This record gives sequence, structure tokens and C-alpha cells, in this order.
Amino acid sequence: MSDNGERLTTPRPTAAIELRHLTRTFGDIRAVDDVSFTVPAGRLTGFVGGNGAGKTTTMRMLMGVLSPTAGEVIWDGRPITRLDRRRFGYMPEERGLYPKQPVLDQLVYLGRLRGLGASAARASVTTHLERLGLAERAKDHVEKLSLGNQQRVQIIAALMGRPRALVLDEPFSGLDPAAVDSMADLLREHTSAGVPVLFSSHQLDLVERLCERLVVLAGGRVVAAGSPEDLRAHSVTRHRLVLSGDAGWVRGVPGIHAVDVEGRSALLEVVDHGAERGLLEEALRRGEVHEFSPQRPSLAQIYREVTA
Amino acid sequence: MTTTQQRPLDDTAADADAFDDAGRPWAVVASREVVVRLTNRAFLVSTLITVLFIAGFSAFSVWESGRTTTYTVAVQGPDGRQLVERAAAAVTESDDKVAIVSTQVPGEAAARALVDAGDADAWLHEGASGWTLTSADDPDLVLRTAVEGALRSTALERNAAAAGTTVEVVEQGTTLTANRFDGRLGHTGFVKAATFAFALLFFMAAMMFGQQIAASVVEEKQSRLVEIIATAIPLRQLLAGKVVGNSVIALGQVVLFAAVGLVAVSFTEFSTLLPSLSTAVVWFVLFFTVGFFALACLYAVAGALASRTEDLQSTTAPMTTVLMFVYVASFGLTGTALKVASFVPIASVVSMPGRILSGDAAWWEPVLSLVVMAAFSAATVVLGERIYRRSLMQTRGRVSWRQALTAPE
Repeated sequence: MSDNGERLTTPRPTAAIELRHLTRTFGDIRAVDDVSFTVPAGRLTGFVGGNGAGKTTTMRMLMGVLSPTAGEVIWDGRPITRLDRRRFGYMPEERGLYPKQPVLDQLVYLGRLRGLGASAARASVTTHLERLGLAERAKDHVEKLSLGNQQRVQIIAALMGRPRALVLDEPFSGLDPAAVDSMADLLREHTSAGVPVLFSSHQLDLVERLCERLVVLAGGRVVAAGSPEDLRAHSVTRHRLVLSGDAGWVRGVPGIHAVDVEGRSALLEVVDHGAERGLLEEALRRGEVHEFSPQRPSLAQIYREVTA
Repeated sequence: MTTTQQRPLDDTAADADAFDDAGRPWAVVASREVVVRLTNRAFLVSTLITVLFIAGFSAFSVWESGRTTTYTVAVQGPDGRQLVERAAAAVTESDDKVAIVSTQVPGEAAARALVDAGDADAWLHEGASGWTLTSADDPDLVLRTAVEGALRSTALERNAAAAGTTVEVVEQGTTLTANRFDGRLGHTGFVKAATFAFALLFFMAAMMFGQQIAASVVEEKQSRLVEIIATAIPLRQLLAGKVVGNSVIALGQVVLFAAVGLVAVSFTEFSTLLPSLSTAVVWFVLFFTVGFFALACLYAVAGALASRTEDLQSTTAPMTTVLMFVYVASFGLTGTALKVASFVPIASVVSMPGRILSGDAAWWEPVLSLVVMAAFSAATVVLGERIYRRSLMQTRGRVSWRQALTAPE
């Protein structure tokens, strides 16, 4: 990583982060295996995956905290440098602060390390503290704050100084619903300014609600990437069938997989294309059909499918 | 999270010219280390207590050395009184801070009562086999020597008169004069004390600041703050800032203690030795500065090797051992061993100023020793930086020194 003689560049607002074939091994374990995806400018990209899927390792490589065994990170069309990352906002998975230092002082310190001038850092921190309702706690030691407030301080550490990109590992964990909403508002402010935002989360409903893009990681590999709609298009469509009589017979229909049958209703997957025709004919022969509707798959369902 | 105002973010910090990327992040780190230390109440209190201790100890020794010690000897009859007067005259002549007085008692019982009550230090009485000095404990050496001398002189005078000659004739040629080739008689104890003070200062500062550096490194590592810092600045700059910041504070504290110590010495009978002591102190501070740099770096590495505060005990153990060795060596070594130690990095911090103070170091010796230590420190910083970078990001468990050296980055 050469950082001598380079100036802090002002990237075009369309700058995107691109991960190319990132791989990291720890001994014999391939924690991240040939991971490639793009975090587009001005978009919220959700990074989903189970525990140990490799999300944190990928983010740490993206931020240069960990060297990749293979692969590279591209920023604004060229390999990323340390000075580029210096202007990224980063929130590591396990978070901490200096417990015995006042809130304002340590945020200004972290801002200055990122290259902000003392007064610019102070101004940015003050603005953020006001936005997050922490202005009166600026002089308090961090250890005196509640956990929720400490999390806000950590969020400020990542968001201050107008970052060029945001890489946030589980930013929503431990936040109450109101805090989740204002955090989401903050992130949207950044994306609307053209900033690419990548955040990981276990909360699939949240990711579904917030994200225009989503990358699913399992076993160190990308198993799905795209908009929630893209992912749905590739998913097996389920249908809900409600009859006037008992629906138990659907289990025997060829080309149809009954996911769940309860009394007069059933949740079905059409395995062989066209099999629904035979199913409906049989249903009408047996009685009335109250409902036969395609079900919009939840992200959780897609997630289970792609990671299965 | 309650959003109180919808002000746009960072209107003040929006432009790239708000960034003063002067390439000196280590200075930002160093100034934080200094500020955090100087605003730490425990640090300020312990510094104040040490200054008071140094000042108080010297005040006490000044008072102690200015105090007159008076021995009271219980005697029976005029012979005993004359002996005591003679002893008193001799002892006061050699040391005006010591006086001996006699008090008359009727017999052993009274003398014993007086000694037991603490009103007399001893009972001087004549028996069949000559004079006896009896006290509650073993007789005090000063008193015993004085009375012995008086007794000897009295006997010599009597015996000389009986032999038809004088004491002067009998004593002729019995005087032995002790001297040193360098003529610096009588300050060996002072050199030892000063060397011990150097050792204590260095040991205390190294242990205290070393542990603090290690603790501050592991604090950042444990809380993952280091990941945020690592994305902002090179780890080399972080290490440099920590080492410089803590060295500045440590040095400031040692200079303060040394200054208080020198002022204190100027009030004592050793004030004549102040010029040579000051030279030694200046050398000590020089050695301390260079040596502390290496130690600070090693302690930072020890912090990086630990992953939790609890691991520090084991990762700092090698440094603690080295420091203990230096500490013990400072007053345990003599002759050639001391000479060798005064060139061994870290050990030389204490032993070379000690040799300078005792006056047996040629002018080039401290210079050479300082160069050796500077080279050692430079090598330590280079190697330490390498280990620091490699182990700082390894957050799973304790990293061994060997792993840190061989692990990929």
C-alpha cells in the first residue's frame, strides 16, 4: 500500500466499492472464499449471513484491518489506498471506547486521527451530538453513559467528518426501535449524498425494509446478491390454497410440494411447471376454491433457500 | 435514538480543506497520551506523594544529622565521674553532635532502676577484675568506644608515670592514617545511596509507565478501538505516538524527582558533592531517556501480544525480569562485573551514572555506553514495531512472541 506523496482526493459522487475475489484463510480454514460484489454509490447494501459466514472477516479486509490472502478491493475504479480508507466511516463488530475519557474529547481525537483539523473535528462532533440528543453528555466520561448512549457515540465515530463511504458491522444490534429508525434516517442522509453504505445485520426484516441491495454470505461464499426483487425472481414461488373442504389430499398431487397443510388451507410449492392446472382441476372437482394466490416470499424464506 | 434537529450533517467539516493531513498523526496520539496522563488524578497524586516523600526524607535526615545525641552514664564515686568526663571530652572533640554526661547512683539496684526507666544508658562500675559497663541491651558502640578510650588513656598515663615515662613516648608511632589514591575519602556510602536512588527512580518509572503503556495498548485492542484507529493512521504512527507521549511524561517526572532530590541534598552535609552528583544526574537523565524509549516500545509490544488486560501479567513478564535484574545489579555488582554492566543496555541506565559518580569512569566510557544503548533502542523500536503491527490485529487469545514474529500480516 503506497501512501507517500498521495493527496486526499475528492472522489466523484458516483464512487463505488468493489470487492474482487477476496479470500482469506486462517490456517486450514477458508473463512472467506472468493467473495466478489459491489457496494454501489448512494445505495444501502445489506450484508446478511449466519454466524461464522465470514461477514466480519470480509469487512475487516475491506477496511484494510486484515490483509486478504487473495483478491483486491477497488474504490472509484482503482485499487483502494490507505488514504481512501482514512475517509471511510467504519464501525467494527465488537465496539469499545476509552471508558475514562470524555465523549467530546475522544470523538475529536478519533476525528483528528482521520485527518480532520481540530476545529473541524469539534464542529462535526458537536453537530452529531446534537442530532443524536447527546449534547449535554459531551463532557461526561464514556463509562458513565448507558449502553445505548455508548452505541450512539460509536455511531458518531463512524459518521463524523463526512465519510466517503460507510462500512458498518452490525450497526443496529442493541438499538431500540426508535433508535433503529433514526439510525436508518442518518444512513439514508448519507446515501442520498451519494455515499455507498455497506452494513451487516442478522435482522432480516430490517434489511428487507432498508436495503436496495443485499448480499447473502454463507460458508465464506456469496450465495446471492442483488435487489430483494431480483432475489425473489429467482426464488421458488409459493401458493396459498384455501378450500371449502379438507385440504389433506394435496399431498398426493404430482408436481406439487405441500409445505404446510392445516385443515382447509395449504401452502404449496409448484415443483413442475404447469402442475398447478391439475391441482386446481382436482380442487374444483372436490368442491369450492376460496383462494389460490401466489405468496410474496419473505427475505427470511429467500435467505433459508439460498443458504440451505 | 432521538433525532432532535434535522440540521444537515457536517456542513462545517464538508470540504477537503478542513483536513490538515500534515502527516503527523503520531503527534496527535502523543498529545492525547500526555493529556490523559496529566488529567489522571491517580497519577498526579502519586507524583505529589513521591515529591513529598523525597522532600520529607531529606528534611528528616537534615534534622537527624543536626540532632545532638546525649548518653547518660550512671556511676558511683569520683573515679567513675572522671572517666565519663574524659570520655565526654574526647567524643565531643571528634563529633560535636554527641555528648556524654554522668549521674551519681548509690549502688547497682539504683543504677538498674535508672537504666530500666530509660533515664540512663549504662552503669559504669569498678569490680575486682576492673571496670564494667552494663546496660539493658548490648552497650552502644559509640559509648563503649568512648569509655574504652578514656579508660585506656587513664591507665596509660598511670602506667607511663609508674615506668618513669610519658604517654606521648609510649604512644609514639601508633597512629594509622587511612586514605584513598583519589583522595575522595568518605563518600562511598554516598555513591551507593545515589546509585540506589537512580535504580529506584528508573525501576519505579519503568514499571509504572511500562505497565501503563501496555495497558493503554491492550485497552485499544480489547475494545477494538484499534480497528478504527488502524483504518485512520498507520500503526507505526500509533506506536510512535504512544512511546513518545509516555516517554515525555516519564522523563518529566524523573527530572522533577531528580531536581527535588538535588535541592534536598544541597541542604545536607553532602552539599559539597553536589557538582559531581549533578553531572551524574545529567548523565542518568540522558541514559534514562534513551533506555526508556526501548522499554516503552517493548511494553507496547507486550500490550499488543495480550488480548485482554488479564494477559498482561504474562506478556510483560520478560520486561519485569530484566528490570528486576537491573535493579538488583545496581547495588549488587562491583569491580569488573559493574564495569561490564555499565555497557549493557538497560543495566547501563543505572550502573554508568553510578560509576561516573564514584569517579572511576573515563570520559569516553559513558559516551560509548550511550551509543551502545541508542543502537539497542533503535533496534528494539524497529523490531517492536514489526511485532506490534502483527499481533495488534490478532484478537483471538494471547499471541506468543514467536508467533508475532513469524505470523503473516
